[in-house]
Amino acid sequence: MLRLLLSTALAAGFATGLAAQEITVGAANVSSYLDPGRDHSNVGSQFYYNVFDTLIDKNHDTLGADWQPALATEWKLVDPKTMELKLREGVTFQNGEAMTADDVVFSLNRMYQATFPPYVVRSRDRLSNFVKAEKIDDLTVRISVEKEEPLWETLLNLQQVMIIPEDYTKGLTGDPKVAEDDDFEAFSLAPVGTGPYRVAEFIPGERVVYERFDGFWGEKAPLAKATVQQIPETASRVTALKTGEADIITNIAPDQLAMIESDSNLRTVGSATPLFHVMIMNVNHPKLRDPRIRQAMSLAIDRDTLNEALWLGKAVVPDSHTYKEFGDLYMPELKTFEYNPEKAKELLKEAGYDGSEITFDTHPTYYTNGMLAAQAITEMWKEVGINGRVNIAEKWSGGSPDLMARNWSNPMYFADPFGSFGVMWAPNGPSEGEGRFNTDEDYAKIWERFRFSKNVEARKAAYAELMERIKQDPPVLPLYRPFESWAMRKDVVWAPKPGHIPYVLDFRAGSISFASN
Amino acid sequence: MLSYALRTLTRMALTFFVIVTIVFFATRLSGNAVDFVVGEGITSEDRELLIAYYELDKPLFSQYLAFLRAFTDGQFGLSFIERRPVSQIVLERIWPSAQLLLSAVALTLLVSIPLGIAAAIWRKSWVGSAVMMVAFLGYAVPNFVLAIVMVLVFSYWLNWLPVVGNGTPLHFIMPTIAMAGVLIAALTRFTRNAMLDVLGQDFMRTARAKGLPEGRVIVKHGLRNAGITILSVIGLQVAGLAAAGSVVIEAIFAWPGIGDLLVNSALRRDYPVLQFGVLTVALAVIVINAAVDLAYAWADPRLRHTVQA
Repeated sequence: MLRLLLSTALAAGFATGLAAQEITVGAANVSSYLDPGRDHSNVGSQFYYNVFDTLIDKNHDTLGADWQPALATEWKLVDPKTMELKLREGVTFQNGEAMTADDVVFSLNRMYQATFPPYVVRSRDRLSNFVKAEKIDDLTVRISVEKEEPLWETLLNLQQVMIIPEDYTKGLTGDPKVAEDDDFEAFSLAPVGTGPYRVAEFIPGERVVYERFDGFWGEKAPLAKATVQQIPETASRVTALKTGEADIITNIAPDQLAMIESDSNLRTVGSATPLFHVMIMNVNHPKLRDPRIRQAMSLAIDRDTLNEALWLGKAVVPDSHTYKEFGDLYMPELKTFEYNPEKAKELLKEAGYDGSEITFDTHPTYYTNGMLAAQAITEMWKEVGINGRVNIAEKWSGGSPDLMARNWSNPMYFADPFGSFGVMWAPNGPSEGEGRFNTDEDYAKIWERFRFSKNVEARKAAYAELMERIKQDPPVLPLYRPFESWAMRKDVVWAPKPGHIPYVLDFRAGSISFASN
Repeated sequence: MLSYALRTLTRMALTFFVIVTIVFFATRLSGNAVDFVVGEGITSEDRELLIAYYELDKPLFSQYLAFLRAFTDGQFGLSFIERRPVSQIVLERIWPSAQLLLSAVALTLLVSIPLGIAAAIWRKSWVGSAVMMVAFLGYAVPNFVLAIVMVLVFSYWLNWLPVVGNGTPLHFIMPTIAMAGVLIAALTRFTRNAMLDVLGQDFMRTARAKGLPEGRVIVKHGLRNAGITILSVIGLQVAGLAAAGSVVIEAIFAWPGIGDLLVNSALRRDYPVLQFGVLTVALAVIVINAAVDLAYAWADPRLRHTVQA
C-alpha cells in the first residue's frame, strides 16, 4: 500500500513537473554567495549564466570566439584605446527597474575601479588594463583602456563584468546613494540581474531556486522553475536521481558511470573539462633550484598511464598549456611537456641529484583522484631514481618556502591563453606572488607581446616563447583535463556546452528541453 | 532543591565560558581563514588586502575581545563566507537538527523500553535472547552504514522513500531510524539490566505479596525504579548524539542541519560560524545534561534527600 501511495505521488510529481517545466538538480556543491563579480570558483560558475547578462555574449555551441550582441547591440572602437557600446533598449532587471547606461557604468566600474577588496583581487588578475567606463547618453557607454587591448570582446564577456542594478545594490545597506562594501556583501545574498531566470530563493550552501523571468529581453526561459539542491554524498545524489527527487545530478566520478548507464531510464553526459589538474614545483626550493631536477620530475611522469588508470582514458593529456577552446590561439603543435624517463635519468645524473627526498603535497579529497595521482607520480619518480614521498595535508602549501611539489588546478577562466596560463603565471601573478615562480625582464617583455599584440600570429609566437621558457625552467606540469560527468533522466535533453567555462549549468532557451516519451 | 539548581546553573555558565575560550583559540590554530575564503593562488599583496578586510590582521587578543563582544549584539558577528549574521545561519539550521534528534529520541523510547522490559521478564526464553541479539547487532553497526544500507534498499532499489532533505514526514523515516539505531540498541540493554536489578529487589516481592497484578508491579514499582538508571543513560546518549552523531547522517540525507553546517564551516575555516555552531551544540549538551541532572534529583528520593541536607 505504501509503495502504491508513494509511486502514485511520485508519478504525479513527474507529470506536473513536466507539464510545468520544472526540474531539480542535485549538485555536489551549492555556492555560499552569488556575486559574479567577486567569484571565480568552480562551484559559483554553475549559477551565474542563468541570472546575469554581459554586454557581449558568445555562441556557446561552438569553440572559439563567435561574439553575439547581448546587453550591447553594437560596439566599435572610437579610438585605439576607447570602445563605444550601444545598449539594448527596453531591458529590465528582475526587480522591475529599467536597465540604463548608469547601471552598466556602475557594474563595470565596480570592477575597473574596484575598492571592495574581493573585487580588487579579481580585477587585478584579469582586468587591470581597463581604466573606466563612462556614460555618453542613456543608451551609450564608452570604456577606456590603458594599453591597446586585443581582447576587448573576451574581457567584456567575463562573468566578472556581468551587469547588476545600481540603485538596487546601493540601497541594500547604509546610504542609498553610496556603494559601500556592505552593499556588495548584501548583494551576494540577494542577487538581481537581467537574465532569463531570477533567483527566487537562495539558501547559501543549500539551495538555489530559479524562476522564469517573464520580462527577459531575449527568448524566454524554457523552464518555469529550476531548483539546484546540494546533495553532498555521491551515493545519495545517484539515489535521488533514481527516485526522481532529482532530474539532473552533477559531479559523477568515472567509476560510477557504468552503474547509472545500466539503468534504462537514465543517461550520462560528460566532457573533458576546460581545466587542468597540474603539478607545481617550487623553483626557489634549495633542492630544486637546478632546472634539470624539475625537468626530470616532469619527464618522469607518464600522464597517459595516469589517464588510463584513474580516468578510464577519458581525460585529455595535453602537450602544452593549451586548450582547443582557445580557437585561433589553440597551439597543439607545441611540445612543451612529454614523458621521457631516460632523459629524466640523464638530467638527474648531470644535475648531481643526491637522492634527497622530494615531497609531493596533496589535499586528501579536494581534487578528484588527486591523492591517487600523487601516489602514482611518486612511484613513477622512483622508476627514474627520484626519492619521492606523498605528503597529505589539508592546508594549502603553495605559498610556503618549504613547498617542493604539489597538485593544483589551472582552470580556463576565459577562452584565451591569458584566461588560464595567463592568470596563473603572469609576471607578478599569483605564482610569482607566492614565491614559487620567478620572472625576469625578458619574460615580462615576451609577456607584453603575448598579452597586447593585436596580431594573432604575433601573440602565438610570443606564447610559444613563454612555453619554451616554461619547458627550460619548469614550474608547472599540466597533468590532464579531468573528465567531468552529469547524469539525468533519459527524457531530459541537456549537456554542457563547449563554449562555456567549466561547470556552467546553462538552462537558457536552446540549452535544455524534454524529449517526448 | 533550589540551591542544587543554582549550583547546576553556575557550573553550566562556567563550562560555557571555558568552551567559548577553547573554541576561539582552537579554531585559529588550523590555518588562516583567508586561504579558504578566496581559494588558492592569489598574490601576497592581495592576500594581505583580504586579511585586513576580514579583520584577521588584528592581534589575537583583540580578536578574542571582538568575539566576546559579538555575543552582545545578538548576531554573533558575520560569516566570513556568507557575510550574513551568524545567528541567522545557525538558527535556521538548529530546528531541522532538533526535529531529527527529537524524533530519534521518541522512537528510541517507544521501542527500547518495551523491548528492554520484555527482555528482562522473559530473560530465559527465546524472546530475551532474540531481543539481546538484535540489540548487540544494532550496537555494532555504525549509523552511517545503517543509513547507506537503508538508502540502497528503500530508495535505490524499492523506490519507497525519498532521500534528499526534510520536506515531508516521509523524509524523516530513514534519518530517524539511522540516528536512533545505536540509541535503541544501547537503551534496550540498559533497560533490561536496570529491570533485572529491580526485579530481584525486596519491594517487588512485597508488591506482589500485596496482591497487585503483575503488570502494575512491573510498571509502577519496577519501571519507576529502573527509570532512574534509564534516565541518566538517555541523557548521556542524547547529548553525545547532539554533539557528533548527526554529522554524517545529515550529509547522507542532505539534511539542512547543524552537523552539516559545522563540518562545512570547519573545512572552510569560517571561524564565526564554527565558533557559534560549536557553542550552540555545547549549550545544547550542557542544557540536556543539566535537565537530566535536575530530573534525576527530582525522580530519585534518595538524591532529593541528600541535596536538601
